Amino acid sequence: MNLAAGNGGAVALVGFGKSYRWGWWGARIRAVESITLRLESGQVLGLLGPNGSGKSTTLKALAGLIAPTTGACQVFGHRAGSNEARSLVGYLAEAPRFPAHVTGEEFLHDCGVLSGLDSAALPARVEEIIAWSGLGAAAQQALGTYSKGMVQRLGLAQAILHDPPLLLLDEPASGLDPEGRLALHHLIRDLAARGKTIVLSSHLLAAVGEWCDRIAILGRGRLLLEGSATELLGAERKRWPVPSRLERLYLEKLHV
Amino acid sequence: MSRPDRQTFGLRASCGRIRVLARQALREALHLRLGLLVGMAGLGLCGGAAGLRQYSFGQAELKFMADFGGAVTGLTSMVLAALVPAQLFFRDLESRTMDVLLTRTVRRWEYLAGKFAGTACLLAGYIGILSLLLTMILVRQGRQLGEVQPVLFPIFFAGALLWMKCTLVAAMTLLVCSYAGSALFAGCTGLMLALVGQLRSLPSGGALTVLQVWPNLTLFNPEKLLTGPATMVGPWLLGLAFYWAAYLLLLGALASYGLKHREF
Repeated sequence: MNLAAGNGGAVALVGFGKSYRWGWWGARIRAVESITLRLESGQVLGLLGPNGSGKSTTLKALAGLIAPTTGACQVFGHRAGSNEARSLVGYLAEAPRFPAHVTGEEFLHDCGVLSGLDSAALPARVEEIIAWSGLGAAAQQALGTYSKGMVQRLGLAQAILHDPPLLLLDEPASGLDPEGRLALHHLIRDLAARGKTIVLSSHLLAAVGEWCDRIAILGRGRLLLEGSATELLGAERKRWPVPSRLERLYLEKLHV
Repeated sequence: MSRPDRQTFGLRASCGRIRVLARQALREALHLRLGLLVGMAGLGLCGGAAGLRQYSFGQAELKFMADFGGAVTGLTSMVLAALVPAQLFFRDLESRTMDVLLTRTVRRWEYLAGKFAGTACLLAGYIGILSLLLTMILVRQGRQLGEVQPVLFPIFFAGALLWMKCTLVAAMTLLVCSYAGSALFAGCTGLMLALVGQLRSLPSGGALTVLQVWPNLTLFNPEKLLTGPATMVGPWLLGLAFYWAAYLLLLGALASYGLKHREF
């Protein structure tokens, strides 16, 4: 079944449901129940919802880390988790921690090899991504010395290293300071402008309103609401981050 | 930003990925505190074998030292073979590094092969160092006692057999890891499975007959090499290598199946 073929769909979830087995007797816990949604190429979708609403499960299913219990998940017409689908996906896990004893540059280099990037062109590509992510000199430091924000930037860098057309970002703003969040905003808009399809989850409602073209609200594993940001937010939607007075003061003082 | 060229399929790409994963695993393994503790204990005990020779209870001094050093090497290597893959696997799982790796074009068997290869390299280095240390101690002691130099070549052969045995234990542990919930459970179960393999030569009947499918680790004991006729050693080693490779493939295939169906 090719759900997305022919209409340029980047992501297609059709009746997607997931339940996990739990405990000695394998009791089933339902995490997601029959979600159907479709995302076109180049769109940014924000998944909103309280903890346990199924946001991470949906992203993991699209990344191919878990298989749907019911329904189907497809990425550019390929079954999520297939080799073809995985080569089209960049994934940032929630609150990742990377191996402590390698440097950022070595880690990105390894990720490049694991993504099948050409070894001759890889050093230049890694350098380019380091500059893009703003890690700079920190790329030569061991990852154990990185702050939360730097780990998050590295996480984004490894996700886009192989230039995938679809990015799955689980809580990308988690642990970032206001400056980092502003930088993340620019990164996401930059990626969207270059035609990347992005699915992200967040608890930051205002940020999702700014970043995303489409918004989906999940609750208890069900899709409660889904639509374009313009339809849902109307005139209240901000197209670009306008920092509050406190944010402006904070950023001014930091950059004196 | 430029668009990179990619080569994700084929044997060459697969080998490249396994090499990177093995290097990562080896690097992480060298920083594991528990592994370091066991390794240092093994080095200390093996190096101190000469100091314990008064407890030889009438055995020839050199034989006691060789037996004691060999036993320490065997025991600590088996512990490392069970603990290291379990720790590496669950570190990756808990830090979500595994998510990052498995959403790339890394197949699950490649991930396990990388962890296995990293552990196998660590074990080769560890057993090699301890064998070298034991050899040096035996040579020095043999000179001091004015005795005939012990035959040193078998120590390295015994080391190679021990390495084969330990890699089987590492593969058993990775099989447990593929469905287990914690490093402690996987490490302890790996050690228990190694014990089952060590007890395979004991007579068993009834329900225990089912254990006969489990790899017999006593086959890797070096007695046959040391006591058997020289003409028999070649075919025996060849048969053993096939036995080892067949069980590695079987355990690896089962572990890959387990990891493929694991929920993250």
